[in-house]
Amino acid sequence: MIGPAVIFDNVTLELGGTRILDHVSFRIEPGSLHCIVGANGGGKTSLIRALLGQMPHTGQIRLEGEHLGPVGYVPQVLDFDRNVPMTVRDVMALLTQRKPAFLGVSKIHHADVEAALRRMGVLEKEHRPFGGLSGGERQRVLFAQALEPAPTLLILDEPCANIDEPGARIVEEVVLELNAKGVTVVWINHDWDQVRKLAHSVTGINRKVLFHGVPSEVLTWAEPKAMAS
Amino acid sequence: MNAIYESIRVTVQGLAANGSLPQAFTYQFVINALLCTLLIGPLLGALGTMIVVKRMAFFSQAVGNAALTGVAIGILLGESYTSPYISMFSFCILFGIALKYTQYRTNLSNDSLIGVFLSISLAFGASLLLYVSAKINTHVMESVLFGSILAVDYTDMNILLVVTLIAALVVVPLYNQMLLASLNPSLAHARGVRVRLLEYVFVVLVTIVTVACLKIIGAVLVEALLLIPAAAARNVSRTLSGFVAGSVIIATLSCILGVLMPMQLGLPVPTGGAIVLVSALVFVGTTIMRATLSRFRATGV
Ligand SMILES: Nc1ncnc2c1ncn2[C@@H]1O[C@H](COP(=O)(O)OP(=O)(O)OP(=O)(O)O)[C@@H](O)[C@H]1O
Ligand SMILES: [Mg+2]
Repeated sequence: MIGPAVIFDNVTLELGGTRILDHVSFRIEPGSLHCIVGANGGGKTSLIRALLGQMPHTGQIRLEGEHLGPVGYVPQVLDFDRNVPMTVRDVMALLTQRKPAFLGVSKIHHADVEAALRRMGVLEKEHRPFGGLSGGERQRVLFAQALEPAPTLLILDEPCANIDEPGARIVEEVVLELNAKGVTVVWINHDWDQVRKLAHSVTGINRKVLFHGVPSEVLTWAEPKAMAS
Repeated sequence: MNAIYESIRVTVQGLAANGSLPQAFTYQFVINALLCTLLIGPLLGALGTMIVVKRMAFFSQAVGNAALTGVAIGILLGESYTSPYISMFSFCILFGIALKYTQYRTNLSNDSLIGVFLSISLAFGASLLLYVSAKINTHVMESVLFGSILAVDYTDMNILLVVTLIAALVVVPLYNQMLLASLNPSLAHARGVRVRLLEYVFVVLVTIVTVACLKIIGAVLVEALLLIPAAAARNVSRTLSGFVAGSVIIATLSCILGVLMPMQLGLPVPTGGAIVLVSALVFVGTTIMRATLSRFRATGV
């Protein structure tokens, strides 16, 4: 299995009269681990949501490849209503199965859901109310749901934002594992050291594409100057 | 269907006659009322969980008000004024769709927009009904708002049964997707959920359920049964299954007790009022439980 290529072709995105993305074009190779970096408000989340078909835009966004399987998505914020009585398990059931979640996790998914929660180190929290989890715990559950069903394209919007050091290491490991199996990874990441260490390619975005290439080449000079502009 | 209702009636009346069931069951209207509440309780109890999550508390009240216009149109078009179902269903469904459509174009939250539509539909419906009722008596308005469970006929029961089946067939396979669509539209969409389509489906569903229940229990009671049991269950549940099961059980029990208790105890309370009072008692009970039992108590501001 090798995940799809992602092609952004002249993507322009306007919301409420402001141009958030301006003729953005770049290509993410099949099966690569690609990071997107850039200043707050630079349009990274918007770009990803355009990729998911959730933002009106001009230009084209294409997935190319033989395996256009499930897309795993970890959103930047999970604003689940804290008032809805749901355990972690309920949330996983809600997200991964058709059988009504109030009837429990279906048998087919049970092992996979448990494996995903265990992988993220939150299996022992599965009966806790989701709304009562800490920010980092919730982020871990959110990451776990993206692993089920097994994705061919994994889209991560700052998955480590609230996560502690051990958690961040788990995320790293899981991403590398999946990528080794051929999964294409698109990862919005503010941690440049991590990007240098892990990514095959990186794109800097602030409304426009600031730079694009191999981290060791583009991240060296770009950091202070391009980010400031 | 009517043959089945008849055979149930004959059986129950037989049991009441030989003393196995309370005296009240010798009356056909009591049996009909109970059959209806046995459908309405679970139906509204289950839907209520989603109404609470989606913050659509006053939507069914708005539909009830819209139904006033529906009735008026029905009378103008020459439908029977006791059950102008075609006009009520058509107008209310249009109303629900228009509400959702407006919401997607204005970005107003559910509660604000429902409030706007609720007021407009009440004013419009009441005016039109008064205009029309130069010819017809004004009891129509009262019956739409408060219903008349003891005057239910087989047509009403058939419509309720069909709508309940439709609701079950739609909600069971789509429950997760519908809930997710309002909890986190972005994540839902990424998982292939047709978010907007489902929101429309849900609105239409609540609309037809409300209309089907109108003549039986009235808009005010539909509202109460969609809200109070779900709110009560929410108080004391930590899991989704507890929430849904609790809401269904509380709604059904309130209905049954609300029909039977006034009769058994000889209380001069109307059925609708009794149903609300029973569920309100449960709500108070669960609120006290939540406030006092440490396992339910939440901290913070
Ligand atoms: N729905 C929206 N309506 C109007 N403006 C929006 C909307 N969503 C985002 N924006 C604006 O678009 C710009 C880019 O936002 P976006 O969330 O894509 O940034 P980001 O690069 O992900 O930032 P961060 O690093 O803080 O997550 C911001 O200025 C934001 O205010
Ligand atoms: Mg962002």
